[in-house]
Amino acid sequence: MIQFEKTILANGLRVIVHTDRSTPFVAVNVCYNVGAKHEDSSRTGFAHLFEHLTFGGSKHVPDFDTPIQNVGGTNNAFTTNDITNYYITVPANNIETALWLESDRMVGPKFTKKGLEVQRKVVIEEFRQRNLNKPYGDTWHLLRDLSYKVHPYRWPTIGLTPEHIEQATLEEVKDFFFHHYAPNNAVLVITGNITPDHAFRMAEKWFSDIPEREIKNLAIFPEPVQTQGRELTVHRDVPIDTFYVAWHMSSRLDKDFYAADLLSDILSGGNSSRVEERLVKGQKLFAEADVFLSGENDPGLFIATGKLNDGVNFESGRQALIEEVLKSAETEVTPHELEKVKNKVEAEQVFNEIGYLEKAMQLAAYEILGDAGQINRQADHYRNVSADDIRKVASGILRPENCNLLNYLSLKK
Amino acid sequence: MTLKRNNPPPVFGVDGVEYIEPNRFILDNGVELFTMKSGDQEVVKIDFSFRAGSWYAQSRLDSIMAALMLQEGTKTLKASEIANTFDFYGAQFSSSSSYDYNYITLLSLKKYLHHLLPLVSEIIRNSSFPEEEFEIVRQKRKQRAIVDSGRVGLIAQKGFLRNLFGEGHPYSPVGSPEFFDTISLSDVKSHYDNFYRSDNMTITASGFVDSEVIQLITGNFSSTWGNSDTAERENIQQLPIADKLVFIEKEGANQNAVAIGKLFPTQNHPDFPGIKLLCTILGGYFGSRLMSNIREDKGYTYSIQASPISFLHHGVFLIFAEVKTDKTEATVKEIFHEMEKLNSELITEKELIPIQNYLLGRILEDFDGPFARAQTFSSLREVNLDFEFYDRLIHAIKTTTPQEIRELSQKYLAPETMSTIIAGIR
Repeated sequence: MIQFEKTILANGLRVIVHTDRSTPFVAVNVCYNVGAKHEDSSRTGFAHLFEHLTFGGSKHVPDFDTPIQNVGGTNNAFTTNDITNYYITVPANNIETALWLESDRMVGPKFTKKGLEVQRKVVIEEFRQRNLNKPYGDTWHLLRDLSYKVHPYRWPTIGLTPEHIEQATLEEVKDFFFHHYAPNNAVLVITGNITPDHAFRMAEKWFSDIPEREIKNLAIFPEPVQTQGRELTVHRDVPIDTFYVAWHMSSRLDKDFYAADLLSDILSGGNSSRVEERLVKGQKLFAEADVFLSGENDPGLFIATGKLNDGVNFESGRQALIEEVLKSAETEVTPHELEKVKNKVEAEQVFNEIGYLEKAMQLAAYEILGDAGQINRQADHYRNVSADDIRKVASGILRPENCNLLNYLSLKK
Repeated sequence: MTLKRNNPPPVFGVDGVEYIEPNRFILDNGVELFTMKSGDQEVVKIDFSFRAGSWYAQSRLDSIMAALMLQEGTKTLKASEIANTFDFYGAQFSSSSSYDYNYITLLSLKKYLHHLLPLVSEIIRNSSFPEEEFEIVRQKRKQRAIVDSGRVGLIAQKGFLRNLFGEGHPYSPVGSPEFFDTISLSDVKSHYDNFYRSDNMTITASGFVDSEVIQLITGNFSSTWGNSDTAERENIQQLPIADKLVFIEKEGANQNAVAIGKLFPTQNHPDFPGIKLLCTILGGYFGSRLMSNIREDKGYTYSIQASPISFLHHGVFLIFAEVKTDKTEATVKEIFHEMEKLNSELITEKELIPIQNYLLGRILEDFDGPFARAQTFSSLREVNLDFEFYDRLIHAIKTTTPQEIRELSQKYLAPETMSTIIAGIR
């Protein structure tokens, strides 16, 4: 159980505080309700580029890093398809420095031509390092584009192509800021060695003068129900053949999510899972195989993938994994399997309650989803799943017409 | 009252770090058990470390393969039974290998430890190394090595270590994935027999370690096992004269990887605390000189770091970045330029003070919570140091003068002593 207190400032900023006396630090985590899914399809990668830009300094702060280093802290940020999340950790007595910086980021970044020019280059190098220069680095570009035709989950956070980033102008960057970065579109979470009272007073002091802004989100259209299976085959300079099978599934807070999550664990969570025991070790078809959820806020994907062992026929290997997954739509999982994955979820939740920064990020993520209190209800949601629920959810998801198949083959063969 | 955003809030320095020494117990078999109790969550982390890393391996991969085989079966349990027990109780078990030590780590809810510790004990004493599982693990690792051999970053880093230590040295990574075909099961098994013995083991338990947990540990690990007469391997391979420039071609690379560095003092060296400060200035944090110049000013790379890396018997200094291919030469030039600047110019107070405070903050983190404290304690102990190292480190951070920093740089960062490894396209 994670105890927290919440208040809302007059400008709409939600503030959440959780006290953890076991650390000398506090975390200041600001999560904006803007991610890659809020981007224009001709300007993808913008939310992430923007995250980079905000570190170049803000209205009253020439640079972000020096003041944080100067108080013994660290800071970073990440962008997903759903959110942009900034965090600072500092020794507790220096909390005001963290709030000074994060509030000024919200007041307004310093937009300069040079800053934009350099960060465009840095982000393009990040694109190259992670997606173009790494074996299998374009997998998510391909799989998302195959699986989504309407919803903006069609592109990854880095963007569809480096060209979109190259073309970003200063005007567009400014627009993006004022349409998305605002107290009424953000959550501030403070965790660690601090009382709620003190934290609320400090939050009020640093954030209350930032005006509410008009949020202009592009409409996000839901992905239409898929009515026909899709298949894409690509050849790349990679050593080993692999494939991805993706089925559409529920959104993050839907009750079906928990059954699907437990099913993916039964299939491939841990060495005693079905796929590991039967296909990796038993039939020796794969060097690695995995079944997992994309886990995003809007309806996401249920994904199976495997890297085939040398000498294994591609189609029969792929078929074996698909069949193993499909079985769960026909027959119920055993009581032992269900108890095992529930124990695992229970333990993981306790493990996750240990880090003050992780708790801050989770509280923020659940608040963006609508209610930070969800953090303490997850255990029950998982506990209440029955074998019958899992079979029903599986048969709803694992239909051939709901399926997207990416064959990622080695050029060498 | 209006807020003065131009005025930064007051800065409070890190005035002291509470070390909190662990409790030390000696089991009946002589094994040392260290415990770090704190936290409200009923979670326990237990680390078993063995002097069994690649330094001790007869053939380069024996130590890694021995670690990987420890979940693959014992005299009384099949791999599937082991896997099922850890999974059923939601525990995280890992068995890994590094340059000097091999490790086993168990993270578990306290309430399940009495089911899990007998299993860990069985694994450490009676692993059976079945042939079928060995082939699966071998194949898996070889496949992974094949994938890794396409990544310029790893190619450059491995090439860097091979250049410094020479082929066949225990700190030198193996050259090709085919090496996995040459490993013999009996060598791997003897590595296990020789080094996973009770008198070669240390246990560190952290988290909710109450008397019940201590009793469970002593109950399971107090008897003696293994051949205690195994001679310790002394590795005295001569180091080669490293090449100054190595280019490793990787066709079609979209970025080139650059690794620049040399052999360096280890953590035990009296200059190490000062060196740590020096390397931080150059490339040890987000605002470092290399990051400011090569990423934030020029945009040639997503990230660049400089770090002193310390093994037990040798240390290395490594500057590493993946860069735009047509900016490779320019990046190398800027890296050397930054070293020369450290050798000739004095750092200003304005630059130095935030770095001092930043490093003091990182030290505070090394002692933040039982798991971090246990990790800090163990990694010092492995290189025969204790918390006194932090006294020296804090002293060096707070008192090293700009003149002394320049002297350290002249002594350790002379450009002509560096080797440059580039992987990618010309």
